[in-house]
Amino acid sequence: MIGCLDVDVGFRCADRCLLFAEPLKKKKRIDPAILKQREERKKKRLEKQIRRLERNAKQLKPIDELEVPLELVDGKKERMREAAVITPAVEEERALLTKDWTRYKRKQHLKDMQMIDRLMFAQQKALDELRQESEELYQAAIQINPTLLPFTVRGPVKTPPIKGYDSPDGEYTDVSKKCVVNNHWTGVVNPCLQVYESNCTEEQNM
Amino acid sequence: MSAVCLERKPVLSGELNEIERKFSRMLADIELENSHKSDHEVRYETETLQAELLKSKSLDLDIEQTLQQTAQDFEDAAVDEYNKFVFESRITEADKANDLQNLERKLDRHLLLLVQQKQWDQKIWALPQGLQKDGETMLQTAERVLREKCGDDLTVQFYGNAPCGVYKYKYPKMFVSREEEGPVGAKVFFFKAQYIAGYVDHNKLKLQEFKWLGREELMSSLSQEYYRNISQFLIDEE
Repeated sequence: MIGCLDVDVGFRCADRCLLFAEPLKKKKRIDPAILKQREERKKKRLEKQIRRLERNAKQLKPIDELEVPLELVDGKKERMREAAVITPAVEEERALLTKDWTRYKRKQHLKDMQMIDRLMFAQQKALDELRQESEELYQAAIQINPTLLPFTVRGPVKTPPIKGYDSPDGEYTDVSKKCVVNNHWTGVVNPCLQVYESNCTEEQNM
Repeated sequence: MSAVCLERKPVLSGELNEIERKFSRMLADIELENSHKSDHEVRYETETLQAELLKSKSLDLDIEQTLQQTAQDFEDAAVDEYNKFVFESRITEADKANDLQNLERKLDRHLLLLVQQKQWDQKIWALPQGLQKDGETMLQTAERVLREKCGDDLTVQFYGNAPCGVYKYKYPKMFVSREEEGPVGAKVFFFKAQYIAGYVDHNKLKLQEFKWLGREELMSSLSQEYYRNISQFLIDEE
């Protein structure tokens, strides 16, 4: 009816809600199997996403994309050190030491260059002498040796390796499955038939 | 003739000399001054603060926290472990015994193989050398010479086909063959090689017949001219 605004609003609202709302639908009984399927699908989707994230995490980011981790940015205040007091004497000493170092390094560099020149000269002399001896040998000597590359050397270390050291991390055991094909003879029924059975056995290597 | 300059490269890095040590210390100091504190340091500081607060006022003791290993404990445990671990010393027994045949000597220097060879009427120390046979390149001669003198056990890596140095000498007049076209002298081409693994075969070379020498010791064992020639293509050492 028109003009019933002043009447009890609560009752009217409930009345209106009852009238404007659709009749409540009856809850259908969904098959539990379908429910399970839905849940499994959701699980699989999540797992797939997890795997994708992990795969991306394993690939290294290019250096340009790396950012300062947020923890460091946030905790900058507590991580700052107090400005160290550097006396002018210490500063002077450092400046002098740096200059000494540059001089030392320059001499070292010059010596290295001289050594390289000397080595090259010696080799050139040897090749000239070889050419005088025989052209054939000389040509053989100039050939590039392709077996030399790739050339790997292990660099010098601080202390020599301990003999017979038992690494606490343990030895590496290769646990990979290897397939072995077995032939069986079915003798009884038909001696001409041969049954092939493939067996996958685990072999552990030391 | 081909000769083999077989070197055992340094296994250990050399000691720092004085200026290097000073400079590295200075760099470490500057690095520390310009750095931020690490996680461990931050943790250590908060824990010392907590400990002091506990002493002065009685804060509620969080049992969980006290049972955890504090940063100080962790540091102490780490230092302990480091001190207990025994590194192999840089000076080996071969150094102390001055065993010239052993390769473990002087691990931070180059070692060069010298072999005793008969030259005319005397035996001299020299790099292993031998005559070239027909149909061989000089490198193949060098490989063969090494195999003959030292056995198959020694694994080496030759640096390429070209020789690195040459040594010419004339035969003294007594030993020159009577025919006029005979050889008057010899040229020895040196080939550089790097020692990788293995030992000199003692059946082929007895203990007195070979030695591994460092650079400083070479001068005393080799003739002056030979030494001068060889040092041209050997890498410097301080």
